[in-house]
Amino acid sequence: MNSQPVDDVTAAYILETRKTFEDLRQVASQIAGVLVLAAAGGKSATPDHPMLEAAAELHREAADRVRSVRPTPRARAHHACLAQAAEALSLALSASQRMEVEPMLIPVRAAYAHLQRAGNTLPGFEMVAFEQGCCGLTA
Amino acid sequence: MNNYSIWVMEFAHVPNYHLSGLVYGAHNQGHVRLPYCYVVIKGHGQVAMVDVGYNHKAYGEVLANLYGVRDWHPPREVLAECGIKPEDVSNIFITHAHFDHMGNIEDFPNAKFYLQERELSKWVWAMSLERRFRWLMLGIDPGDILRAVDLARQGRLVCVNGDREEVLPGIDLHAAFDTHTWGSMYVTVRARETWVFCGDLAYRVENLRGTDPDDPQYIPVGLATGSQFNLIMTSEAMVKSAGGDPSHVIPPHEDRLKEMFPSRQTSAGLRITQLALADGDKSLV
Repeated sequence: MNSQPVDDVTAAYILETRKTFEDLRQVASQIAGVLVLAAAGGKSATPDHPMLEAAAELHREAADRVRSVRPTPRARAHHACLAQAAEALSLALSASQRMEVEPMLIPVRAAYAHLQRAGNTLPGFEMVAFEQGCCGLTA
Repeated sequence: MNNYSIWVMEFAHVPNYHLSGLVYGAHNQGHVRLPYCYVVIKGHGQVAMVDVGYNHKAYGEVLANLYGVRDWHPPREVLAECGIKPEDVSNIFITHAHFDHMGNIEDFPNAKFYLQERELSKWVWAMSLERRFRWLMLGIDPGDILRAVDLARQGRLVCVNGDREEVLPGIDLHAAFDTHTWGSMYVTVRARETWVFCGDLAYRVENLRGTDPDDPQYIPVGLATGSQFNLIMTSEAMVKSAGGDPSHVIPPHEDRLKEMFPSRQTSAGLRITQLALADGDKSLV
C-alpha cells in the first residue's frame, strides 16, 4: 500500500470512490460465482442467471461513477485502475451473454488485478472485507 | 488403527487479540496470542492437510499494518520442517471458505480440495444480495473464488454434500451447517487415537470446556454467520467423535496446544505441535 500522505482533496476522492471500488469488487465476485457454478457443472449457470443481471446493473452504476469522478494528481493511478477494471468487467459481462467460460474468466482475472493495483495506490481500498472478520482481524 | 503422523503447523500469529472475539461474551477480559495454523496428516502414502492458510502476497501487508499479523511464512518453508513440499500434498480439506483458511490454494498445485457444496453455493448466493447485506461476505476474497474456478476446471475441486466417510483411510468429513459459516465442516482422523480438527468451530479450549474445570460447558465462538445453537450442538458432536475427550478436538487457533501436546519452536519462531507419530516417522519435537 502506498503510505505517502494524502491531501484533503484526495481524501475526498477516496471517500467518493470507496463504494465504487467495492461495487466493482462485488461485480467481479458475482461473475466469478457464476463461473464456479459453471465450472462445477451447475445447471443454473446460464446467461439469464439472476446474479449476472445483478452484476450488470451494479456494473452500470459503478462504471458511470468512475467516468464522472475527477481524480486529483495523487489519485490518477488509482482512477486509471478503476477505469481498467470497469472496462474488463464490461468485457466479462458481454461474454456472459454466451456463457463462455474462458472469455469471461480472462477479463475477470484482469479486473481483479486492476482492483488489487488500485488498492496499492491509495489507502482505504481492500480486496477482502476484513472488518469484524474472523480469526484475529480486528485485533 | 491407521498409521498417521499428525502435526499442527503455525504459519503466522497475532500477538494480541481480544478474547471476546474468540469466546462468546468474554468482554473486557484482555487479549491473547492467536496463532494461525494448518494441520498436516501424513500416512498411507499420502499427505493431507486441513486448510491452507492465506496468501501473503495478496493480504500480508494489509494484515500486518492494520491487524498486527506477524511472522507469516510460506508453506514451502513451514512444511519443510516435516520434510514435505507443497507439491507432495494430495488432499486438502477446507473447513470453511474464509480467506485465512482457503486463501493459499495456488501454492498446492497437485492437491484435490474438498469443500462443502453448501459453503460454496451460499457464498455465491450472498454475492447476489444488495450492498446492505455485505456483512455476510466477511472474509471472502474474490480471488479465492477465481482460484476455485480454476480448481473446478482442473477437476481438483470436490464439492461434498454433508458427511463423507473414509475420504482417505480413517479420515471422515462432517458437515456443520449454519455454524461459524453456512457450510463449515470438521475432520476426524482415526490414528492410534481419534482426533477432530474443527477449523473455526472452536477457537479456544473455553469453547469446548467453558472456564470452570469443575463445571464444564460449551461456549460458542465470537463470530458466526449461522447460529449459536448449532455451534453448541456441533461442539457436542465433535467431542463425541473424539470419544468424549474434548482435548482431542483441536482448535488450530489455540495457543495453549503447546502446553497440551509435545511441541517445539522452529528457528523461525513458529510452533509445531505433534499429535501423532506413525511407525517409522521421525519426531519433529
